[in-house]
Amino acid sequence: MKIVGIDLGSRSVKIVLFEDNKITFNKVLDTALFYREYCKSIDGRINIDFDKLELGGIERIVGTGYGRNNVNIINAKIIVELKAHTLGAMWQTGLKDFILLDIGGQDSKVISVKNCKMIDMILNDKCAASCGRYLENMSTVLGISIDTLEKYYEAPVELSSTCAVFGESELIGRISEGYPLEQLAAGVNYSLFLRIKPMLERFKSETLVMAGGVAGNEALMYFIKNETCFKEVIVVEKSQLNGAIGCCVYGMNS
Amino acid sequence: MKKIGFTTSIPVEIIFASGNVPVDLNNIFITSKNPGKYIELAENTGFPRSTCAWIKGIYSAILDKNEIDTIVGVVEGDCSNTKALIEVLELQGIRSIPFSYPISRDYTLLGNEIKKLCSIFKVEAKDIISIKKELDEIRKNLVYLDELTWKEDKASGFENHLWQVSSSDFEGDFKSFREKLKEKINEVEKRSKLKENVRLGYIGVPPINSDIYDFVETIGARVVFNEVQRQFTMAAGINNEDIVEVYRMFTYPYSLSGRLEDIKREIDVRKIDGIIHYTQSFCFRGIEDIVIRKELDVPILTLEGDRPGELDARSKLRIESFVDMITP
Repeated sequence: MKIVGIDLGSRSVKIVLFEDNKITFNKVLDTALFYREYCKSIDGRINIDFDKLELGGIERIVGTGYGRNNVNIINAKIIVELKAHTLGAMWQTGLKDFILLDIGGQDSKVISVKNCKMIDMILNDKCAASCGRYLENMSTVLGISIDTLEKYYEAPVELSSTCAVFGESELIGRISEGYPLEQLAAGVNYSLFLRIKPMLERFKSETLVMAGGVAGNEALMYFIKNETCFKEVIVVEKSQLNGAIGCCVYGMNS
Repeated sequence: MKKIGFTTSIPVEIIFASGNVPVDLNNIFITSKNPGKYIELAENTGFPRSTCAWIKGIYSAILDKNEIDTIVGVVEGDCSNTKALIEVLELQGIRSIPFSYPISRDYTLLGNEIKKLCSIFKVEAKDIISIKKELDEIRKNLVYLDELTWKEDKASGFENHLWQVSSSDFEGDFKSFREKLKEKINEVEKRSKLKENVRLGYIGVPPINSDIYDFVETIGARVVFNEVQRQFTMAAGINNEDIVEVYRMFTYPYSLSGRLEDIKREIDVRKIDGIIHYTQSFCFRGIEDIVIRKELDVPILTLEGDRPGELDARSKLRIESFVDMITP
């Protein structure tokens, strides 16, 4: 059976095709482009042109996105975003008991999974300073790529601004004080960690699974291993596609 | 006869007994045509962005209505913002009478506060008892409407919220309120039972987005318990002529332990599957979440509200995920 999972994010749309419990196709598109090129609005609902996406013979469509009410796809079953991410993480890791940390472009979530069931959750989508957007902006200020930024964790400079916007000014201040790039980058990573730490502290567990766009951040993993109770930190292989994968898993099992 | 505003539930018997019209300032703010505008006005006056929207709304509502020149400000037992609010109102020529629910729940201390109000409004004990008898008859019907919600499964979460929260001032006219409530009860009794997958309890201050009740009913859940609104009905004090004792039994202004005892019992009796703990942004009650999470044995969603109006996408996402999580 061909199942399509679609995760309608605020910045990018992730599409995954499952056949016999395997990923046979995946695509990531800019959200605005996706709506413009591949969608038509019919009576307030979204009709996706799967032929244009070169996806034929789809038997089941499962979608998710920010808020079920914003994901109104024709002929699709819509599931709650947190459920999609939980199912994706379970499928990718094979684990039944873990804490899932998903840091995306504009929000971050921590989900407690016990015996394959989501039992608790905490979200932050008010503060941009604990999301990927913060890292993007700060790496621009430093003049380096995010891939470079995320490698540094030693001797972080202190960045104490509550606000991501004011944090930029504070970082510039630190640059003018003469701190080396490595410490500045470490400071950015550490300040992100400090903002998600209270969410993690709520859940006592050994295993942390990371997904979402910020999942591969080496510095974040270092801080988590050294300053929280988590002994094992696993990054899902396809972190950006995790939600769309979870949609396919739902479609397979329901 | 004039309108006397108040910032949270006070012994409303005193106001009625004095021949005046009690006005719960929270209610006139939240039911106004454009409550968001009131927030904006207060912020333009100088209320910080990072303070509770209820205080801002109350401030602007008082000045906008222009019919209230005297209020009772509860400076202990609700919110310490009220202390500052009454001082700002004094600048505008609004007379503010401070009232305190002592944190100790001490009978004598609370008794003194009530005596003070009685003296200011020139009311005697016998007048209070007589009014209370009439209000208690209405309160019995509110208890029944509450049962129609959780026991008979006929009233909606919104009806349960609205009628109970309105009993803080009985809409200024308890006789009219009494008749309207009877009509509502007649209407609800005739319905067939509601069926939902998830029974929710709502604890904490009343929501600034009251469409939360109808929203949860679109996703297979229903609120069958509204903790603080039920406390506003003073149901525990029905038929008790000792007004001090009645307002000592009111759990909201005092310690969390009293509230938790009430909440735990109702979770059990009403067979509640999960709790929504609502806190207002910038409110100290967010800290209480730590204790509440430790003490309650059911799943809890902590929901933070800020501006009036419809529920935003963030809140809907959380509520949907929570209901999905606890749906059997």
